[in-house]
Amino acid sequence: MTAVATRTVRRVVLSAPVVAVGGALALTTLVMLVVGVDPSLAYPALVRGAIADGNLEYTIAAFVPTLGMALAFALPLRAGEFNLGGDGQLAAGGVAAAALALSAPLPPVLAVLLPLAAATLAGGLVAALAAPLSTRLGIPAIVSTLLISAPAVSLASYLVRFPLGEQGTGLAQTPPLPAAAHLPALTEGGYVTLGLPLIVALTGLWLYADGRTVLGYELRATGRNREFARYGGVRVNRLAAFALAGGGGFAGLVGGLIVLGPPYRFVDGALTAPGYTFTAVAAVLLAAARPFAVPVAVALLTLLQVGGQGMEREAGVPSQLTQIVQGLIIVIVAVFATVRARRRRA
Amino acid sequence: MNILEWSFLSGVLTATAPVLLAALGGLICQVAGVFNIALEGQLLWGAFTAVVVSDLTGSAWAGVAGAAVATLLFAGLLSAAAVSLRADPIVVAVGLNLLALGLTAFLMRQIFGSGGTYTSPDLAGLPTLAELGLDVPVLGPQSPLVPVALLLVVAAAWWLGRTRSGLRARGVGQHAEAAAAVGLRVGGYRHGVTLAAGVLCGLAGAQLALGNVTLFSEGMSAGRGWIAVVAVMLSGVRPYRLLLACLLFGIAEAVGFRLQGAGLPQQAADAAPYVITLVALVLAAVAGRRRRENA
Amino acid sequence: MTEPPAAFAAELVGVSKRFGPVLANDGIDLAVARGEVHAVVGENGAGKSTLMSILYGLHRPDAGHVLRAGRRVRLRSPADAIRHGLGMVHQRFRLFPGLTVAENIVIGAEPVRGGRLDHTAAHRAVTALADRYGLRADPSALVGDLPVGVRQRVEILRALYRQAEVLILDEPTAVLTPGEADRLFEVLRTVAATGVAILLVTHKLTEVLAASDQVTVLRQGRVTGRFTTAGTDAGELVHAMIGRSLTPPAPRRARPPEGDPALDVRDLTVRDADGVARLSGVSFTVRPGEIVGIAGVAGSGQRELIDSVTGLRGGTDGVLLDGTPVRPGRDPRVAYIPEDRHGRATAPDMSLAENLLMGGQRTLATRFGLPRAAVRSRGRELVERFAINTASVDLPIAALSGGNAQKAVLARELTRPSRVIVAEEPTQGVDVGVRERVHALLIAARDQGAAVLLQSSELAELRELADRILVLFEGRTVAEFGPDAAEAELGQAMTGVRG
Repeated sequence: MTAVATRTVRRVVLSAPVVAVGGALALTTLVMLVVGVDPSLAYPALVRGAIADGNLEYTIAAFVPTLGMALAFALPLRAGEFNLGGDGQLAAGGVAAAALALSAPLPPVLAVLLPLAAATLAGGLVAALAAPLSTRLGIPAIVSTLLISAPAVSLASYLVRFPLGEQGTGLAQTPPLPAAAHLPALTEGGYVTLGLPLIVALTGLWLYADGRTVLGYELRATGRNREFARYGGVRVNRLAAFALAGGGGFAGLVGGLIVLGPPYRFVDGALTAPGYTFTAVAAVLLAAARPFAVPVAVALLTLLQVGGQGMEREAGVPSQLTQIVQGLIIVIVAVFATVRARRRRA
Repeated sequence: MNILEWSFLSGVLTATAPVLLAALGGLICQVAGVFNIALEGQLLWGAFTAVVVSDLTGSAWAGVAGAAVATLLFAGLLSAAAVSLRADPIVVAVGLNLLALGLTAFLMRQIFGSGGTYTSPDLAGLPTLAELGLDVPVLGPQSPLVPVALLLVVAAAWWLGRTRSGLRARGVGQHAEAAAAVGLRVGGYRHGVTLAAGVLCGLAGAQLALGNVTLFSEGMSAGRGWIAVVAVMLSGVRPYRLLLACLLFGIAEAVGFRLQGAGLPQQAADAAPYVITLVALVLAAVAGRRRRENA
Repeated sequence: MTEPPAAFAAELVGVSKRFGPVLANDGIDLAVARGEVHAVVGENGAGKSTLMSILYGLHRPDAGHVLRAGRRVRLRSPADAIRHGLGMVHQRFRLFPGLTVAENIVIGAEPVRGGRLDHTAAHRAVTALADRYGLRADPSALVGDLPVGVRQRVEILRALYRQAEVLILDEPTAVLTPGEADRLFEVLRTVAATGVAILLVTHKLTEVLAASDQVTVLRQGRVTGRFTTAGTDAGELVHAMIGRSLTPPAPRRARPPEGDPALDVRDLTVRDADGVARLSGVSFTVRPGEIVGIAGVAGSGQRELIDSVTGLRGGTDGVLLDGTPVRPGRDPRVAYIPEDRHGRATAPDMSLAENLLMGGQRTLATRFGLPRAAVRSRGRELVERFAINTASVDLPIAALSGGNAQKAVLARELTRPSRVIVAEEPTQGVDVGVRERVHALLIAARDQGAAVLLQSSELAELRELADRILVLFEGRTVAEFGPDAAEAELGQAMTGVRG
């Protein structure tokens, strides 16, 4: 009994995510000490910044887009495609939602649903551009998604400033969206919207599809060994394109959710500046091919991200420290995965 | 010749140089079979460390040296993780790019006290060749690192084709097992090129922050490292073609800059290098495919 | 110091090596003299490759040591081995396709002048060596453009260039036609005559008897026999190799093939991406209850033929299954056992159950998806039926031994509702027990009315199983033989010599 317990404890303690987070925090502490910050002040500030003093609402509000972007990265990754173009897909989704919501007065429920659908479609289309480049021309998705992302962000920025821009203010933002297009709020502050249950439901759907459907099986087979899947009769090119487009769709939807949430307009840069895309990438890689761990990893890194801002306010530690932690986590996970695979083989 | 055209060519060269230096790093990695997509992060880190050292010492050359050394160390992370420990180089590179972004933004606030953009009279930029007495068109307004970058293209071609280590590096890249079987140290070559790419990215960063401009701003690499990755893909691992690919990017940036002056929105200028690079990549891939089909 | 005159060129003393649970080498002693061709024989998995890898510094022994010219040497890498005058020609060539012949030969010990590679000296050295041993190869040709036989010459030349005094050849004839193999043996004689010791690793007894002076037999990691070739015969060697005499092959068929062809290939032409015809006008049929063998030198169009028959190359009118054209992608009417177990036949990281599922996922699916319980229980059923040795169906298939992984592939493919079976090198890299089992399964499928297309580089396997053998040469079917064709006849056809 105790032996089993010890073994379980050891397995958990030595699992990739725990080692990665532990290692990253140790290195972060080292960074703090080197630059002369007292960790005993910084870490409580971080925790307070994430969950105390009503900050939990912000953390949850940030959890929604990060989880959505995690799906945008994880879905194609299961099929072996790296989608690093989340920013462009996000911006495309946001601008599509804003454009639709501003252009036509829509009846109450449709005023939310149609812009979100448009956002999903726009994000999916931007990501799908990378699919034929990868499957037909052999340009890796990791490069093409990223290259497509930059002009997509520029285009969104242009549209938000000029054709869709708010006249007369000189600010780079659209006018406020009509009230019918506002996402219903779930908290008093209004920051947690219907987007939370929506993304949580979509995550559940993804988890189910990944583990227990033919589509999920074929996607995984495509990712693990594309030649094997092709040999087995799976239409791998089509699936890879679907996975990229699906990932882009999630990113686009996140863009729509952000625009239809407070402050109910597309503010240039507001979608990409918080760095949801790469926080999500770090979270998915931290989950290390365990889909069920993705929401947990997203929650952890969101706490870190939002808490980092609290840390900056209280302890004067630049919040970019959290980006350092994320980068370190990714590197440690990658190293750990190989070391373990080699030990298993030996 | 029209003065305007000289200045345009000069602008092209200025825009090309940092990308070219980073791409040379990517190229030698590719030769030895290392897919290095951490160029973006290394370029940014190089720019930052160049500015820090130049600011502290008041010497641009110290900045260049500092960037080279600091980026060599940064590349050591990649070579340790991806070569020694055999971790997935793509995932490691994604992590390192993020790390560089976070680290530069963080240290910038720690060292210079604020984020955004840093510039100061203490910060020494690289001299132009004209200031060094070489007042010729096109090259005159460039920093000495620009001709160095061009010479390095020739050096890379020579190394690959004419030297023993170049031949061996190609062997390592083509078939690592075969290289080991003839007694070559595969890991040694891979460490070597990864670290050398670090030095080249350090120079690229120094050129960007002390040559093209004299300042550091957050995320100032702005995708140049990724353009360099694409340039390597376009080059078919041939140094002179790499130069052409990088010049294409330089032209795109210079044209975008001009058009912006002519009233085009800044976003179009921002997007131009990416769109043109992407189009070139697609055209090259399509052409390669067609050539194979028609042969 | 003077060498003891009687010392062997190379000697392995008490060498043991363990990989996990497998004891690959168990206290092996082996000695080869200068100028001697010494055959090392044994079934697949007998430990030959491990032993040679130890001699070439690729593995380090757990116990025992290596003597070179009577002196103990420590070989930690191929570089050490090369320095001690050992050379190896690998079964899978260790060549650089994008480098020239000369570059491939000199790499690692390049002539340098004034800091630059001396290409002229390299070419001169290569030409001189080639002339001396009668191994023709154009020094400036790209290795990637050369036929297999010439590539092997490049490997041999490389070892000779590095002044190997002990030359190890690992299954050198696996990629050669019988005619090319004979020429190789002549070359080996010439090389041995200059005082080089040659270790010839093989499992083909005809080669042993034809080409060697001494024989060491391995079975399950141990030496089970040492012979002087002149004083032994095939029967004695077989007994040492498998510990018993071969059982006579099973009666050839239960019933004659009947009915319309299940597989009908008609005037099939396939071009590669460069537009070169890899198959030209190939026509043949396979009827239910028949095994048709495909013989040929590697790269004669086998891959293109199989990819066309299975639909992986896209749909084509040149292949008819039960009278209708093959469907593109992967035609479900064909069961296919691929040669490349890790590249194509399995996803090594996925579980055994999920590997066994591929192709059947849609039949197991319900309205609500793909129940995991159903996937596992189907996996367990196949594990049981095909005697796959595994602790659990949830283990990654990479954790299984090669033979068990191959059984899993057969289990998956033979349980598909397909009347046509394509088997590509179905017994490559499996031990003799699994080999017998695989053969029995293919024969059983045939007897139940399957049309089997069997591609194998082992002529013995084809002659044992096939009712007819088609020979591919440069993308054409150049000959058809019955099962009792002589190896020499087959060999001639494989090299394009028409009888």
